[in-house]
Amino acid sequence: MLQFFLDPVLRAPTLGTMLMGLASGMIGCLVFLRRRSLLGEALSHAAYPGVVISVAIASFLFPFSEKGALLSILIGALIASLLGLFAIDLLEKRLNVKSDAALCFVLSTFFGVGVLIASRLQMTHPLWFQQIQVFLFGQAATMVDGDIGIYGLLACLVIAILTAFLPKLKILYFDPDFAKTVGMKTQRLDALIYVLLVLAIVVGMRSVGVVLMSAMLIAPPAAARQWTNRFSTFFLLSAFFALVSGFLGNVLSLYVPNWSGAPHLSLPTGPMIVLCAVTLCLLSLLLSPKTGLVTRLVRIGRFRFRRRQENLLKALYKKESYSKSWWLMKRLEMKGWAKQGALSEVGIREAEKLIRLHRLWEVYLVHMGQGAERVHANAEEMEHILTPEMEKELQALLDHPQVDPHKQPIPGASSGVSPEASMRENL
Amino acid sequence: MSEPAVRVKRLTVHYEKAPALWELSFSIPSGVLVGILGPNGAGKSTLVKALLNLVKPLSGEISFFGKPFKTMQKEIAYVPQRTSVDWHFPIDVEGVVLMGRYGKLGRFKWPSKADRMAAQEALDLVGMRSYAKRQISKLSGGQQQRVFIARALLQEAQIYLMDEPFAGVDMATERALVELFSKLKGEGKTLLIVHHDLTTVKSYFDWTLLLNSCLIGYGPVEKVFTQENLKRCFGSSAYLFAETKKLAQAKSTGDK
Repeated sequence: MLQFFLDPVLRAPTLGTMLMGLASGMIGCLVFLRRRSLLGEALSHAAYPGVVISVAIASFLFPFSEKGALLSILIGALIASLLGLFAIDLLEKRLNVKSDAALCFVLSTFFGVGVLIASRLQMTHPLWFQQIQVFLFGQAATMVDGDIGIYGLLACLVIAILTAFLPKLKILYFDPDFAKTVGMKTQRLDALIYVLLVLAIVVGMRSVGVVLMSAMLIAPPAAARQWTNRFSTFFLLSAFFALVSGFLGNVLSLYVPNWSGAPHLSLPTGPMIVLCAVTLCLLSLLLSPKTGLVTRLVRIGRFRFRRRQENLLKALYKKESYSKSWWLMKRLEMKGWAKQGALSEVGIREAEKLIRLHRLWEVYLVHMGQGAERVHANAEEMEHILTPEMEKELQALLDHPQVDPHKQPIPGASSGVSPEASMRENL
Repeated sequence: MSEPAVRVKRLTVHYEKAPALWELSFSIPSGVLVGILGPNGAGKSTLVKALLNLVKPLSGEISFFGKPFKTMQKEIAYVPQRTSVDWHFPIDVEGVVLMGRYGKLGRFKWPSKADRMAAQEALDLVGMRSYAKRQISKLSGGQQQRVFIARALLQEAQIYLMDEPFAGVDMATERALVELFSKLKGEGKTLLIVHHDLTTVKSYFDWTLLLNSCLIGYGPVEKVFTQENLKRCFGSSAYLFAETKKLAQAKSTGDK
């Protein structure tokens, strides 16, 4: 693994993409919080004509300078992206175009112009076209140490500024009006964030390309949001996920062709990074302990199973039939509620608790004006849900009722009647 | 202070090129609880925003204790509408309340122990003692409102501007907040509150300001909250004002 940081061929792509991921993962958090995730997509596509035109210009001005070409491409992309931002603002504020339409308009128009010019160049200057393609789909693997200088610097700039302004950003993004009234220079801060966004996009384009850049802005924050509810942790986690995606993308693009037994197949690094980021996001959506889909399904399943156990318990107590599996009965025995098919002391008490909750709830519903004929079904559900605290409150509110709306006694109602006595009455 | 807490002279605010507020002039002394009333679209929120320098007026003057907003910024607290904020934001109750400290600290640094204790006190005052670390998405409407109030308390201001603090809030919260506002008034603070429930005006407020783009009246509730004024403010004659406003707006924006 260490070779990725030491090997002269591997270290530039690895470091470059990790730094890029760090920057885009952090600034993506802000775009995510504003619910403007499509903005990243629009701005990266808007940068494309800037790349195309600046490649043409650079090849005229510095025909043999790599550094010069790189710099002018960065500047060209920056200018085009900022123009796109300006166009979006114009459409939304002056021309009353809705946000999604404005973003799509700018995205497709700018990109279309870029494609137009690029296809022309494909015929006339195929070498230039090659250079342009590097930025369309990214070509992390060809990054060299020199590239790290510029890209690394820009990425670090983004990260440093964001970290410094984090407390202010918290307020600005939660409640912008409040922020203004306490003296924050909200317009300046907003403008700064937009510039950082464009910088992050331009830096990232080299690795993952115009087409895939928005994924690096969206996937890490979307993943991180599943794991935390704290602002700073959200940023850190998103940065971490992006970092890991960057690293794994490089690793996998190198090793997967080998592992799959087809070493001649080359897997480009950029898309691999994006795939890693998206996979992390998917896993987070499924497995996160608070909100993950799988976690929820497990919780639901566990509740349902407990409910079936409790229903079986009640059925045994009332000597009614209940379809049961061997495993269900075993669980009751494991809990100490039953022994060899019959209820234990503990089991009896548990069953009475359920019945008590059921009948208490029926009394409550009738107390709230519901007809006695209707309350049974709801009480069947609620008996599995009411907590001991709620039971206490119900008892107090209803003044310790002795019978339910159907004149059946409430077992263990705190009046001194022993459970056995009420059970005898019940039978 | 001999200067009135809030003085407004001929304030006119255009909202999308049509007058939302027209030549408002009023003066509020310190230590009163003012209810700002008016029908929908009357410009109540616009007035609050104009006072807070969030909206640029076309003409007119606003002063707080004789000084402009920028000078008095630290003495004015804003409680926005509860619905203006995304409650799924990753932040806890304490985090929101601590925002109130921003003005006093100048450059926002990470909050100190004293700040946190002040936040806890503010939460106690609004009855949210144990909620400091609660995620804001898990709060009810009334609780959200209380958190906003606690944030305003932390600003330690002289003047409080609140936009519909009782909207969508349960009775218990409403009663608790009214008590708190009375307490603040007793301490000499001035509260201007946009309110929507005409039935509670007499019991909640000392003063009222009746608004329907133009000022219908302002002053002590007994004097101003009359049938005649209410008819002028909310009645069918007021609808003409709204219609002409719409027409004027259409003319200036080129709508048909």
